Amino acid sequence: MNLLTASHGSYPRIGEPPEQQILRRTITECDRGGKSERDVRAAEDEMTELALREQAEAGIDVVSDGLIRWNDPISHLAGKLSGVRLNGLLRFFDTNFYFRQPVVGSPPQRTGPLILDEFKFARNGSARPVKPVLTGPYTLARHSLNEKSGPGKFEKLLMDYTEALSGEIAQLAAAGARFIQVDEPSLLSCLDGFSLVAETLRKLASQKGKAELWLTVYFGDAVPIYEKLQTLPVDVLGLDFSYNSKLIDMAAAGSAKTLCLGLLDGRNTKLEDVAIVAETIGRMLKTTRGASAYLSTSCGLEYLPRDRAFSKLKHLARIKAIVEGSEA
Amino acid sequence: MSREKLKTLGINLPLLPVTSVGSFPKPDYLVKARADFAKKDIRREELEDAERKATEFWIRKQEELGADVLVDGEMYRGDMAAYFATHLTGFEQGGLVRSYGNRYYHKPIITGEVRWNEPITLGWWEYAQSLTQKPAKAMLTGPYTMMDWSFNEYYFDRRATCLALAREIRKEVETLVQAGAKVIQIDEPAISARPEELPTAIEAMHRVTDGLPAYFITHICYGAFENIYPAMLELPVDNFDLEFSNSCFDMLRLFKEFPFTKDISFGAVDVHNHIIESEPVVRRRIVEALEVLSKEAVWIDPDCGLKTRTVDEAIGKMEVLVAAARHLRSGETRNEVGT
Repeated sequence: MNLLTASHGSYPRIGEPPEQQILRRTITECDRGGKSERDVRAAEDEMTELALREQAEAGIDVVSDGLIRWNDPISHLAGKLSGVRLNGLLRFFDTNFYFRQPVVGSPPQRTGPLILDEFKFARNGSARPVKPVLTGPYTLARHSLNEKSGPGKFEKLLMDYTEALSGEIAQLAAAGARFIQVDEPSLLSCLDGFSLVAETLRKLASQKGKAELWLTVYFGDAVPIYEKLQTLPVDVLGLDFSYNSKLIDMAAAGSAKTLCLGLLDGRNTKLEDVAIVAETIGRMLKTTRGASAYLSTSCGLEYLPRDRAFSKLKHLARIKAIVEGSEA
Repeated sequence: MSREKLKTLGINLPLLPVTSVGSFPKPDYLVKARADFAKKDIRREELEDAERKATEFWIRKQEELGADVLVDGEMYRGDMAAYFATHLTGFEQGGLVRSYGNRYYHKPIITGEVRWNEPITLGWWEYAQSLTQKPAKAMLTGPYTMMDWSFNEYYFDRRATCLALAREIRKEVETLVQAGAKVIQIDEPAISARPEELPTAIEAMHRVTDGLPAYFITHICYGAFENIYPAMLELPVDNFDLEFSNSCFDMLRLFKEFPFTKDISFGAVDVHNHIIESEPVVRRRIVEALEVLSKEAVWIDPDCGLKTRTVDEAIGKMEVLVAAARHLRSGETRNEVGT
């Protein structure tokens, strides 16, 4: 069994040194009229390149662009669709991070690329495979305010978002993405949406081409639906192990899917005991199906200070080395 | 309104009293002083001089505008969690993490037993109160939010962390009460983060406020209130300071179903928008609120702290709040506020 380390997705776009605050400064100056949108794009490019370098330096096998350009996981995608405008701030799950709520006035439609250009930029700047990340249609729909209420309206909105994301997945696959990740954290807080999520994934999977389609669920307990998750039409299941320790036993008992093991807490600075995590992985690798498994954090790392996020990445690589026996 | 309690405390307020949540934007000279201090170019005394000057500016400005319960504007704070963390033992200052968009804060890390050692806000509250005859509101970050907005590397779980913080924050509240603070706001914007933890937040608030002679307000914003309402009314405070403009007044619909039973500070202007609402717009918002809330129970304020606005925008937003409240009090539109 081959164990690979993978970035979950987001990475802090700010650090303590002045050179790591270029994006914040540029956006602030742009708001005041002293810089242009072009300057902001250049700062985003610079911070994306830095995020890619840090992931490589930490020894991560499958990297992301750090979602550096995203204001939040909801508005970055929904805000680019026609029929959607952005409203006030709302808390993103139980984090102390806030997103702009999409207000849907007419069926959302994709009128151009959502993250395709971001993926291409990162891919061209990375020697390691880059995994593009999309917030899934169910999570987008659950976080939207639909001006058309009534029976069946949520399902219609969900399918509209699915259609939009399907187009993006097709283009990502055509552009050579080896992995495409779909994040559906809302599935764990709204378990009764499982059949709807399954339907959206069938549609998304039909567009993935040769790419490996990942589904990641986090910010909740996956134990109640662990068995059902195995039935979904995806290649890799990404799981958050920080909510319920029983998930470790369930995963160790077997998985029909390749797993991405979110064993390091992406929301707390405390570094896990490497020996304990390595032993846990050893148990799981004996039963996991597939040629490889992935080791990652429980969620994206932008909830941590940059130095701690980097430490978590290095921790992933160190644990991998222990599991492989190259480090005692 | 808990007017009886306020009267007992010696505070008489007009109908629809106007206040502010807590923070105001820092004037340019203070922004520069903070940057210079961070670079060690000026001494702490010089920074504090700038903070006192800015505090006086905002107290004078609120009086000039006609606010009824004043705030010190939090000129001495960076943000609401890190400020208290730096004054309590058991915390380390963590690095920057994002709050939203292009806003970041230093998220503290709990690395040991949390302890209150000396007054934190007392000096600032005393200074603000010394500048005005109107009541100055004391403001603290509550235990649940301090817990939720800190990394925890020490306590066993979130509940233990929250209750330990409550024990220590009460010491600050006791100090403020002894010094004469009558209106004390315990900010808990994180309280709706995990609805299942509301009982812990309520237990913690009891530990902070029980038995103390003050009018307590809690400020809650940008959360899923519908998940904790009406249970949140069990929080042992007199007044809930809530945002309405940002949330399209959704809570008012809830109040029709489950009546709001306490005083409320009604957030009538959006703090995340450069546009200053017109007085008629703000007045209409208040009138809409008064359809489901008792006018005796309603205070008027912005959705949240105004620190993200420019000085002129913050003044403009406070101006329209005062103008709308005065209009509604004046009797010109008696029917708008009911009888």
